[in-house]
Amino acid sequence: MRIKKCGTQALGETHVRTANVMTTPNASVRFWIITMLLVLLGLATLKLR
Amino acid sequence: MLLAFAQWLSEDVRFFSVFNYITLRTVLAAMTALFISFLVGPTMIRKLAAYKIGQSVRNDGPQTHLVKAGTPTMGGALILISIAITTLLWGDLRNHYVWVVLLTTLSFGVIGWVDDYRKVVHRNPKGLSARAKMGWQSLIALAVGMYLWNAANLPANTELIVPFLKFFVFPLTAFLFVMLTYLVIVGTSNAVNLTDGLDGLAIMPTVMVSAALSIFAYVAGNAVFSKYLGIPYIPGAGELAVYCGAISGAGLAFLWFNAYPAEVFMGDVGALALGAALGTVAVIVRQEFVLFIMGGVFVVEAVSVMIQVASFKLTGKRVFRMAPLHHHYELKGWKETQVVVRFWIITMLLVLLGLATLKLR
Repeated sequence: MRIKKCGTQALGETHVRTANVMTTPNASVRFWIITMLLVLLGLATLKLR
Repeated sequence: MLLAFAQWLSEDVRFFSVFNYITLRTVLAAMTALFISFLVGPTMIRKLAAYKIGQSVRNDGPQTHLVKAGTPTMGGALILISIAITTLLWGDLRNHYVWVVLLTTLSFGVIGWVDDYRKVVHRNPKGLSARAKMGWQSLIALAVGMYLWNAANLPANTELIVPFLKFFVFPLTAFLFVMLTYLVIVGTSNAVNLTDGLDGLAIMPTVMVSAALSIFAYVAGNAVFSKYLGIPYIPGAGELAVYCGAISGAGLAFLWFNAYPAEVFMGDVGALALGAALGTVAVIVRQEFVLFIMGGVFVVEAVSVMIQVASFKLTGKRVFRMAPLHHHYELKGWKETQVVVRFWIITMLLVLLGLATLKLR
């Protein structure tokens, strides 16, 4: 998966993401979401044992 | 439905009793809503794009936003579908609070949907008229207020509590209770809608506030914890933690697609509904002031619009470069992503402050 360093301009005029291209903010936020899920999973271990 | 099934199974297999725990169902609800959104999201975005349900961008807004024209909108429907399915799966459907919040959310979603549909499909830039929109919102919010007043069977259900001040508890009359409920639900709904102007700006604070409200709901619904922390005990309110978990899960998944540069916008269908959901939960768990603190970003965005309009009408001068507030900072030179993440950070701090009210009173 390619990660583009720049924002909207790099993606052309339409603002719609090209397939398999993520901008830096996009990749960052998605990694944050994954981390939040993992934290949630970690917290679930408090109850599920 | 799954709760009822698990309870039936638990008569023979003790393991299934674990699903009676609200905490576990809250986590499961968050994950279920998240995966439903992940599954349905890409298809829905493709459909919205195929039907050309694209956002129109205001001409007087920041020039950098013109490039967003045509991005699929009404993605809030994805959030609502996920929340509804998840609640029906993991919620206790015998609990009337669950139905009140779910129906309120969906009703506000319908108002938003009609507005979006007229704007986007009928190419009517005004959408639903402001009077009609406010009229329907008011009708639903007043109905919720009256229902909650009539359903209240404990003084705690209708008292106004003040954060940080344990002994400041005000019993409300029917009129004051209904008016407060109205203001909180309609106010939050519209404030979230005004905040929804940048990629990810509205959804992440919604996720954070709903996660915090799930803690308040859980504590309010637990006799031991509510007594220990000195907050009103609201029997049945704990089940709203599951609902808030569903909002958080669906919201996080939506953020996946809504992060800059957004593939989809939530539109009024999502913003109005999510705001109404937060407001209704806050009213039921008697944490209106705490919602005001935690949703400070929503409040400030709404107030900035009021100040701008009032100032322009009274003096002919603008206080902000542009309202809502996020546009002001954009025009000051902040990048869109900077505004968004900084507003998220502020919300995190406000949510922490809100959670501190559990102990500091």
